[in-house]
Amino acid sequence: MILHGARAIYLREMLILRRKLIKTLLASAVSPALFLLAFGYGVGRGAQVGGVDYLVFLLPGLLTMSSMNQSYGIATEINISRFYFKIFEEFLLAPLQRWQIIVGETCYGITRGLIPVLIIAFYSLLAGVSLRFGPLFLLALLLHLAIFALLGFIAAMIVKSHSDQATINAFLITPMMFLSGTFFPVEQMPLPIRAVASIFPLTYSTQLIRATLTPGAEVSFTLFGVLTLILATLFFIARQIVARVEI
Amino acid sequence: MSCADPKTFNTPDEIEVRGLSRSFGKTVAVDRIDFQVGRGELFAFLGPNGAGKTTTINMLTGLLKPDAGEIHYHGQRFDPQRLTLKQLIGVVPQHNNLDRELTAAENLLIHGRLFGMWGAELQQRIDSCLKFADLTSKRDTPAGQLSGGMKRKLVIARALLHEPEILFLDEPTVGLDPHSRRKMWAFLRRINQQQRCTIFLTTHYIEEAETLADRVLIIDQARIIAGGTPEQLKQSTGNFVLDIYRADEIESEFFADRRAAMQRLEQLDTSVRIRETTLEDVFLQLTGKRIAP
Ligand SMILES: Nc1ncnc2c1ncn2[C@@H]1O[C@H](COP(=O)(O)OP(=O)(O)OP(=O)(O)O)[C@@H](O)[C@H]1O
Ligand SMILES: [Mg+2]
Repeated sequence: MILHGARAIYLREMLILRRKLIKTLLASAVSPALFLLAFGYGVGRGAQVGGVDYLVFLLPGLLTMSSMNQSYGIATEINISRFYFKIFEEFLLAPLQRWQIIVGETCYGITRGLIPVLIIAFYSLLAGVSLRFGPLFLLALLLHLAIFALLGFIAAMIVKSHSDQATINAFLITPMMFLSGTFFPVEQMPLPIRAVASIFPLTYSTQLIRATLTPGAEVSFTLFGVLTLILATLFFIARQIVARVEI
Repeated sequence: MSCADPKTFNTPDEIEVRGLSRSFGKTVAVDRIDFQVGRGELFAFLGPNGAGKTTTINMLTGLLKPDAGEIHYHGQRFDPQRLTLKQLIGVVPQHNNLDRELTAAENLLIHGRLFGMWGAELQQRIDSCLKFADLTSKRDTPAGQLSGGMKRKLVIARALLHEPEILFLDEPTVGLDPHSRRKMWAFLRRINQQQRCTIFLTTHYIEEAETLADRVLIIDQARIIAGGTPEQLKQSTGNFVLDIYRADEIESEFFADRRAAMQRLEQLDTSVRIRETTLEDVFLQLTGKRIAP
């Protein structure tokens, strides 16, 4: 059976996700709703950004950010199963090439990342904002989710403990959420911030996903190339790390 | 080889280890150890806490990389890339690493899938492993809700699912009460004989090594200090002990047989106890300290 290891790992994650699906759904519904209220209706009511209504600008940003949080969130789970429950040993003991672990966990991260997408699609319906959910959007979303699932996987492999994980989140994930163009265009920021934003992958995926969703906007194929390159690089790095990882 | 006489020592070695070493920073966990395990043997690795037992198992199963040394299974050099050799191995870690939210059957299912098993064949194996471990009635119970002994058995059933030829067990009876411990010993013997599995277990319980194992290797501070059948080990120290109760200590003297011990006993006028040697005495003689704290 091809990819039996990746499929076994994915199945394990799905069996566990199934048991906490409602909790995950509710948890990923709250924060985008609050951001939507605070920024969309509070600060930005009636404003225009880059020629579109602020809500049309904000909703794709929120979608990208929330789905990043979910797919990157596998880091915490892998961490717990590695250091606390030690289930990860089961994957390392099995007769499978180690890159299959990466594939299985990345697919899980992608699946998790789809949950907030459904929620925000629902919110945009409620808000009466029509977005362009088409094949280009799906392709961009897939790249985006795979990138952040891989980042989560890499983070979980390189940390030595659970508290290291919190440090990574504080220094990488939170700044990324606020500086990558979720709430306002990166071009409005001072130059040093723009320089920082330009190294965050979220900046690129936000830009691309927003373009694919916004009616009438032009989609840059260079950005597809950039994201594919980031994805390939991360997969390569993950492979190097997982080949050397011990228990 | 029939399951009735699994102790044929002239068959090729199942496991052969040469010069195996591993350090963590400045701590030397395992220091140039050598040993062989024969096909079908029930082999015990006996040593106090921190001796290097888990580190050894982790290297033998590919979870840790040795700093030096070689591991051979059936004469084939092992490294974690050799997937066919990994297929031969079943591992019961020191820590019960079950998925607590998943049921007993689901835990086995995932293990089977990881080992490339599938469909009806896998379902059959799951059923028979649950039955063998007396867990059929707990099939749909989340693993987190099982008792300590049941969890331990489920971990063992999981390790047996893919029909390994060699089963590694890291302290299989730790945390079990004396009654469950005896039942576990019977269970391990059954695996050794019925499933024709070579068993490599670690323990710091003297009695476990003594009653269960065909052969024992004693490890202390990363080094192997003695090895042989329990009888051989005891014989090398002396089969009988006199515990002589002095004013402030108990002094032990060892004798080859009961007669020699009795002769010595007659010369003494303090309070004395005569008894058979245990592996604890062997360890004490070799290291000057006790295994069990
Ligand atoms: N990951 C690690 N990092 C640092 N030191 C380690 C690590 N694993 C083991 N050690 C050290 O290596 C030595 C051997 O440990 P090991 O776990 O192999 O002992 P053990 O015989 O299994 O003990 P126990 O009976 O307590 O399980 C100990 O001194 C331990 O502190
Ligand atoms: Mg140990």
